[in-house]
Amino acid sequence: MLCVEAIAETSRLKTRAEIARERAEIAHAMLADCRFCAHDCRVNRLAGEQGLCHAGAEARFFSAQTEVSDELELIPTFAVALSGCDLRCAFCITGESSWNARAGQTFNASAIAAKACDALRQGARTIMLFGGEPTIHLPAALEFVAAMPPDARLIWKTNAHGSSQARALLVGMFDVWLADFKFGNDACASRLAKISHYGDVVKENLLWAHEHSELIVRHLLMPGHIDCCWRPIAQWTAENLPRVKVNLRAGFWPAWHAAGHAELRGTNSRADIDRAIKIGHEFGLNFIN
Amino acid sequence: MSAENLAEKLPAKADAGETTDLLLLPDGRILVHGLTESFARLLGELAPDDEQFSSRIIHPEKSPQ
Repeated sequence: MLCVEAIAETSRLKTRAEIARERAEIAHAMLADCRFCAHDCRVNRLAGEQGLCHAGAEARFFSAQTEVSDELELIPTFAVALSGCDLRCAFCITGESSWNARAGQTFNASAIAAKACDALRQGARTIMLFGGEPTIHLPAALEFVAAMPPDARLIWKTNAHGSSQARALLVGMFDVWLADFKFGNDACASRLAKISHYGDVVKENLLWAHEHSELIVRHLLMPGHIDCCWRPIAQWTAENLPRVKVNLRAGFWPAWHAAGHAELRGTNSRADIDRAIKIGHEFGLNFIN
Repeated sequence: MSAENLAEKLPAKADAGETTDLLLLPDGRILVHGLTESFARLLGELAPDDEQFSSRIIHPEKSPQ
């Protein structure tokens, strides 16, 4: 009888929370040789070393509130913005906090999970982790998942610049990957976000996300970047992720250091927005709002 | 007062209440970041014909379960 009970116990399927708890410990240990994003800095964050994101071992957050500006099928969403990012997008709308991993407050996974549960009780449809970039805070993100109920619909809002090591820890943790596809070529990515090999990395992440979860691809239309960025993104997405939901965000505004780039000093014109939408339709993209 | 000192006196956003960032354009367009439900309702009243706000106003009776 004891043997049967033992087998039954070990063969019991683990819950998402249980798996997340185990992986959070693994992720925390991985901070000693950080390979969470594609920069592959391999610094020891536990010992105070900093990679390109400048994040330490402690996660911080700069916003946690219920919002309705995301995709209609996701809102209202209780959105938690973790401080710090591995990219340096000149036009970042939350640059002050996204470029500074020490901005905001200490992220207490249990406390924020309690707030998230309150939001769900008050009508929030989903819970979203974003930033900055949540990938660089994988231990805290997994602790948060471990503290959430199994039926909570969790959204991973990411710049899709994570590593295979990070993705391995994210399997089955989030219901939807809401992934940015920011640049359609490596030259623009290098000039505007100080990042190399962007195209290969983001495509690898998007293909993986499509295989392992629901995927929504987002592109923030940048003034002057329809043909160099949006068109190739639309084409690649149509060819490689047909029928995947795509949200073309046209509300660019010249935030943060955007003024350092002549073409980013304004907003998108109505004519340019219409042209971008037309390109998407020509490629048969599955647009959502 | 230096900007650094001023920043120390201001509440961190994570401490503050709900926050929505707006950019009002000369041509009348309104760009929004971090739109909250209460702000969506306000903007929906100010710009009732703007679908980007009206579609995001959550009506309790229509809230998904």
